[in-house]
Amino acid sequence: MLRLVVDLNRCQGYAQCAFLAPDVFAMHGDEGLLYDPQAEAAQRERVAQAAAACPVQAILVEDAEASDA
Amino acid sequence: MKQGILSQILDYANRANPYPLYEELRRTPVFHDGEGPYVVSTYHEIHGLLHDPRLSSDTRNRGAAAGDPLAGQEEGEGQLPPSFLKLDPPEHDRLRRMTNRPFGPPHSPRRIDGMREELRSIVKGLIDGLADGRGGSVGGDGIDLVEQFSYPFPVTMICRLLGVPREDEARFHVWADTLAASLDPDPDADAEQREKVTSSARMELGMYLAGLIEERRKNPGDDMLSQLAAGHGQGETMSTMELLSTAALLLIAGHETTVNLITNGMLTLLRHPDVLERLRREPRLAVPLVEELLRYEPPVQLLPQRTPLSDIEVCGVTIPKGAPMWLVLAAGNRDPQRFENPDRFDPDRKDVQHLGLGSGIHSCFGAPLARLEAQLALSELARRLHNPRLLDDPPPYRQNAVLRGPRHLMIACDDVRP
Repeated sequence: MLRLVVDLNRCQGYAQCAFLAPDVFAMHGDEGLLYDPQAEAAQRERVAQAAAACPVQAILVEDAEASDA
Repeated sequence: MKQGILSQILDYANRANPYPLYEELRRTPVFHDGEGPYVVSTYHEIHGLLHDPRLSSDTRNRGAAAGDPLAGQEEGEGQLPPSFLKLDPPEHDRLRRMTNRPFGPPHSPRRIDGMREELRSIVKGLIDGLADGRGGSVGGDGIDLVEQFSYPFPVTMICRLLGVPREDEARFHVWADTLAASLDPDPDADAEQREKVTSSARMELGMYLAGLIEERRKNPGDDMLSQLAAGHGQGETMSTMELLSTAALLLIAGHETTVNLITNGMLTLLRHPDVLERLRREPRLAVPLVEELLRYEPPVQLLPQRTPLSDIEVCGVTIPKGAPMWLVLAAGNRDPQRFENPDRFDPDRKDVQHLGLGSGIHSCFGAPLARLEAQLALSELARRLHNPRLLDDPPPYRQNAVLRGPRHLMIACDDVRP
């Protein structure tokens, strides 16, 4: 399980996360962001890509089972 | 300030390492030598200007012949109207929004995600190819990573995405090269002749795309050209000429820059073997590594086409309305006021809000695809090439100072792992 927090005050609607992890992040209209705060572990790679791609670094990810195994 | 620093930046002799010149440039955050462009090189100022609505991307707002050595060189619009890269709101927003419709969220959220398997298979095929036909010893006479990997990979992907037949690559390659080169000033060239060549390349590319779009209208596929041509735009439509400009922009921007991102990436890794080894063991490092790469060696070094719509003041300097401006992204990315140890390549760097893909309304349209391509390319090269090494350091660069990157990257390796 991944726990996500997006700082929606920082979010500027660049939508990079919604491109890279479409099962976790979705755009509502052109700027509004919807997201799943408890994403499945299978989304780990995509969520990491989404968080890194955020131009305003608004996505915080906490990996509940932070194991590389 | 040493005289002629802008000429030095444009001088091909400094292409391999322009960073000391950028450092010098940053000592004068808004540099202006009396007749040339106003050159902004510090992070916070560039970032602010990229979000400033008083700055135009439309070069038609420039005063006549304002002494910019890059001016006029990229005006070869031929008969095609400017693409959204060179437009301001509201026209920019309208065209970008329509172009985004078949490309990304909210309307096409799975387009890029759905390309992952294809990306993997193309990378696999190209790396397999590096091992072939070399009589056992891989790279005995060297592998040119640009020709054999960095170029064909993004070109194949942009063709698939747009719906351009890959076998036409030889045709548009020449036009694309000419158009990319037109961004670059060559003081020895005949400006009028260059403009003619550029204009005709743009025209030929436009004609080629017009034929293709006609074909896609008759036999639509699930590619972007088909969807753009079908006009999915809820009351908004692109004119045929706008469609041609947009298609030409995507085709050119879709590979010129990514080629350099991948090549710069491998060059940087080969110069930092400890990081290369880490990437081989931890492919996930590719994600933060590509962000650091976009900071450390950005494929677009500077934005030469912004123009203030009114007099604006930056760091105590008044930049007059209509004056040409350069925003030197690559200098801002190494600004010690913003990044600690800016000349160090550190994939673990936190807070890497680089300017490598721009910022604000013109931030890179293809960014998600470029990121996936670079992450996959570099992690797979690191994993599969056994003992890779540079044969030529620094490598020969392309002439272009704006879209900067190696022309060739000769490497060798002992083996290509499966």
